[in-house]
Amino acid sequence: MIGKVRELAKEWLTTKKVDAIFGLRKQNNDVAPYLFTDVKELKDLVLSIDNRICFTVRPSKQNIVHLIQKNSPDMKIGIIARGCDERALIELAKRFQIDLEKIEILGVACTNKDAEECLCPIPYPKTIIIGEKAEGVSLDKIKNVESLLGKTLEEKAAFWKEQLSKCIKCYGCRNVCPMCICKECKLEEDLWVKSGELPPDFPMYHFIRFYHMADRCIECGQCEKACPAGIPLLTISKLVRKDVKELFDYEAGKDVEQESPLVTTLDETPLKEEAKDVAV
Amino acid sequence: MLQYKNVLTTCPYCGAGCNYYLQVFDNQIVGVLPSKTHPVSQGKLCIKGWNAGDFVNHADRLTKPLMKKDGKFVEISWDEALKTVAGKLTEYKEKFGPDSLATLSSAKCTNEENFLMMKFARAVLGTNNVDHCARLCHASTVVGLVQSFGSGAMTNSIVELEDADCIFIIGSNTLEQHPLVGRYIQRAKEKGAKIIVADPRIITLVQIADYHLRHRPGTDVALFNGMMNVIISEGLEDKQFIKERTEGIEDLTETVKKYTPEYVAKITGVPAELIVEAARTYAKAERAAIVYSMGITQHTTGVDNVKSSGNLAMLTGNVGKASTGVNPLRGQNNVQGACDMGALPNVYSGYQNVTDEKARAKFEEAWKTKLPDKVGLTIIEMMDNAVKGNLKAMYIMGENPMVSDPDINHVKEALENLEFLVVQDIFLTETAQLADIVLPATTYAEKDGTFTSTERLVQLIRTAIEPIGESRPDWKIISDLAKLMGSIDFKYNSPSEIMDEIAALTPSYHGISNARLEEGGLAWPCPTSEHPGTPFLHKEKFTRPNGKGQLFGIEFKEAAELPDKEYPFLLTTGRVTFHFHTGTMTRRTALLDREVPTGFVEINPADAEKLGIRDEELVSVQSRRGKIEIKAMVTDRIPENIVFIPFHFAECAANLLTNSAYDPVAKIPEFKVCAVKVEKIK
Amino acid sequence: MKGGKIDQVSNNGFEPKIVGFLCNWCSYAGADLAGTARLKYPANLRVIRVMCSGRVSPEFVVKALRAGADGVMVLGCHIGDCHYQAGNHRAAKRIAILRRLLNYMGIDPRRVRLEWVSASEAQRFTKIVKEFTDDMKALGPNPMKKVKV
Ligand code: SF4
Ligand code: SF4
Ligand code: SF4
Ligand code: SF4
Ligand code: FES
Repeated sequence: MIGKVRELAKEWLTTKKVDAIFGLRKQNNDVAPYLFTDVKELKDLVLSIDNRICFTVRPSKQNIVHLIQKNSPDMKIGIIARGCDERALIELAKRFQIDLEKIEILGVACTNKDAEECLCPIPYPKTIIIGEKAEGVSLDKIKNVESLLGKTLEEKAAFWKEQLSKCIKCYGCRNVCPMCICKECKLEEDLWVKSGELPPDFPMYHFIRFYHMADRCIECGQCEKACPAGIPLLTISKLVRKDVKELFDYEAGKDVEQESPLVTTLDETPLKEEAKDVAV
Repeated sequence: MLQYKNVLTTCPYCGAGCNYYLQVFDNQIVGVLPSKTHPVSQGKLCIKGWNAGDFVNHADRLTKPLMKKDGKFVEISWDEALKTVAGKLTEYKEKFGPDSLATLSSAKCTNEENFLMMKFARAVLGTNNVDHCARLCHASTVVGLVQSFGSGAMTNSIVELEDADCIFIIGSNTLEQHPLVGRYIQRAKEKGAKIIVADPRIITLVQIADYHLRHRPGTDVALFNGMMNVIISEGLEDKQFIKERTEGIEDLTETVKKYTPEYVAKITGVPAELIVEAARTYAKAERAAIVYSMGITQHTTGVDNVKSSGNLAMLTGNVGKASTGVNPLRGQNNVQGACDMGALPNVYSGYQNVTDEKARAKFEEAWKTKLPDKVGLTIIEMMDNAVKGNLKAMYIMGENPMVSDPDINHVKEALENLEFLVVQDIFLTETAQLADIVLPATTYAEKDGTFTSTERLVQLIRTAIEPIGESRPDWKIISDLAKLMGSIDFKYNSPSEIMDEIAALTPSYHGISNARLEEGGLAWPCPTSEHPGTPFLHKEKFTRPNGKGQLFGIEFKEAAELPDKEYPFLLTTGRVTFHFHTGTMTRRTALLDREVPTGFVEINPADAEKLGIRDEELVSVQSRRGKIEIKAMVTDRIPENIVFIPFHFAECAANLLTNSAYDPVAKIPEFKVCAVKVEKIK
Repeated sequence: MKGGKIDQVSNNGFEPKIVGFLCNWCSYAGADLAGTARLKYPANLRVIRVMCSGRVSPEFVVKALRAGADGVMVLGCHIGDCHYQAGNHRAAKRIAILRRLLNYMGIDPRRVRLEWVSASEAQRFTKIVKEFTDDMKALGPNPMKKVKV
């Protein structure tokens, strides 16, 4: 597969379809993002599900593609994107962070194994250029989700109190999240989260992230992977994403044209009647 | 065309040694991106690591050499600066002899730079007066563990903690100070390990602890003895291990006899049953690890404390196998390396004694010069000698004793009494402000080199951006000075060449080279170029000359200064997760400064009530040596009669209060215990 | 948007603290009217006046619950009447998501209620407050409030 990706990248560069290819490169016995402009370098181009190509640069608080485009507005970039990378790009474009006109997506589908490792629901981009569509991991197949839903309210509260008390307030979950791009983040406001307190008071710190992700989370799974304390953060993000779909037929990262229900009126995006009540 | 690169490097804060990429846009650091494959960090970082790109570009960076004229700093050229320093150092050396000079090396600098600094002191200045802040944090580890095991480093690797069955954490606020080490303790807990925390404060790790022993600061030896008393009297010791691999059991058994749980409970304040249960839990575990840090080292009995941890581990056969051992967590990113490199008054690199003729001859031959044979001065002794006037000039690289050392008033007097002080740093620190010449150095982001993490892992740092302003890497500055002072050596083109010299002269680093490090870190001992490195030490035999571990009978001794009528509180010091040491870097990092902008004194609600002190009220804290004003934090995290102050903050510096009384062998000061009074400000 | 059914058990004399975020243009005026009309409603309600139900971000609600409220009400103008056109539309959607999220975190979503009350609906206002107060009495003290040491 990687051979094909390199070939295509080479073709795009030599035919000047794009000025640069943004992908992953092998370096220092590890993998890091790289902007390829020289076809000779493409031998080091790799695919790796551990590394995302669409991430927020910390502490600059801006997406890497945004920064590249800001720096070189006329550059046409080919981006080697998996499903999650593409969803992030779409969601960012929707929020005026990047210019999709100047981007060619070289869509790569993930394997079943990849999808399972990431617990990914849609492990492929909209247009698959390389690879074959594998099945996504549905919510009911996820152990953490199942076990959470099987708990009573008290048990849930006890579970999260324990889990969230392990938090070392590294901000890693926010830092890696491609959707956390706010210039002023509520996690850094004393009104909500007392500075210097460890662990952060239950539940506000984590609640803020969960809630803010409701109409943005594209389920890349990076937050959970970045958490030193091993808190199962994705469990809630996934459920909330499901709810937003259920309530509003909205899925973040699906379509540039689709507006977040949280910025539209009830006439534009009605709240579904049957979904109003919460079963306890 | 945009230049975008990701430069893999090692975190400049704690000894966990996490790796990440500095993301660079056209010579500007724009962000930090964790490395997914690093053995310890695995794509995760703590808040300091995530923000470690921030201070590099801070407006306060020193960009030009400075000289003090009429009490004010003026910018001068490098040429003038270097010539002045070389001239002055030569002058004092000739007039008062080499021992009138001293250097402080730095646990923040690379191995290469520490090696050069010690070489500079010994081969160019001609004195063994070289030390660094390990004196202040883990000098007792180096001395103590060498006596017990033969090697003064963490016996096992960090990730092994995950598979321990019991972890005994004493005097280490791991989750806050070494967060990415703390992570493996959390994981061990999830896998079913029993966690024992011995700490007077309710530190964050206590949440997952099975036992919390809140012993009075300074009573660690008693606590260890109490646990060993239980283990021996219940026959839980590993008799075979003791017989085959150790010596000194008789002495130990005899000594701990009187330390019954009841007796120890009286000394430490920990209930006897808790001591018994903790001892049993530790002894019965298949694989038990001890993790400790400055909570036990910074005492007048620091060496005793460290040796006691060695005793406990060996008594139960918990050394030399995976997921066990005695694991001192080193605070600074490269304090292990600075010690390994011999930035200490008594040893060359690889802990080769300056008094050992064979070792000296080896270095004399390599460096083609005569070397001093007398053990040099430690930091504390340097300060004493400066006050007395015996020490004339000092060259300080990347250290800030004006915040970090005990009894700062004394340090100030010492530094002011020097005839000539050169400070080489990235910011105009409290110490640099007292200098005659300030040399602007680069940060870790602007140079190449290696750091050695707390688990003995030697790892590369790489140049991400060009030096800011006219700053220069420390290794270059030292080399230039050496050449100006007439050395024919010091002709290095890159840190990698210095590493080759280190490898040639240092047995434990023998097989290490930059080419190998490019592929990933190597844990010393790494004796040959094929050797894969050593994750845990003392597998078949101990490093001591006869191969056996040494058990010691150690009596409990009280701290040097205890609370009394006039100074009724016991002050203990430490850190918060958001800051690092003297705050030079973290307090110049926006997010970290926001979290904790200034210092505070933790005081128990009962004590606060007695004194009529409310939360967040400004109070005065005074010891026999100094007085500060500081915000009170009323919390039951701290027990009654004890107060705690983090030492990062110069404006309310804990170390104006602390006692410089030190351990007789390791000369480490007693930061963790002194007597103070707390008063309401009227 | 009512919560699930609450069993009406008496909770011996427990007086819940209720925080109400009331829109200035409607429910706040409605509450005012209830006052002048001397309609009785439970004294458990602490009113916070906001300029629009759209001003109430979910963080407000969580903060109130953590700070000691047993229940939180958000009252706004009827759909179509919001002075800022879509403020209440947003509130409706936010609270819907919020309640589900609270449930996942183990916080009883019945402690949060959104209703529309116009300036003239003093009766409706008192009825809703009374109902909600009774519901909170039945639910008992909010377990997630922070206990002061
Ligand atoms: S999975 Fe996590 S990191 Fe990814 S978009 Fe959702 S919240 Fe952000
Ligand atoms: S946590 Fe919320 S406020 Fe902070 S960056 Fe993410 S979305 Fe923005
Ligand atoms: S990544 Fe984990 S530990 Fe870090 S702030 Fe997020 S939840 Fe807390
Ligand atoms: S744990 Fe230590 S090495 Fe790792 S990121 Fe934090 S300060 Fe840096
Ligand atoms: S103005 Fe009343 S809800 Fe918007």
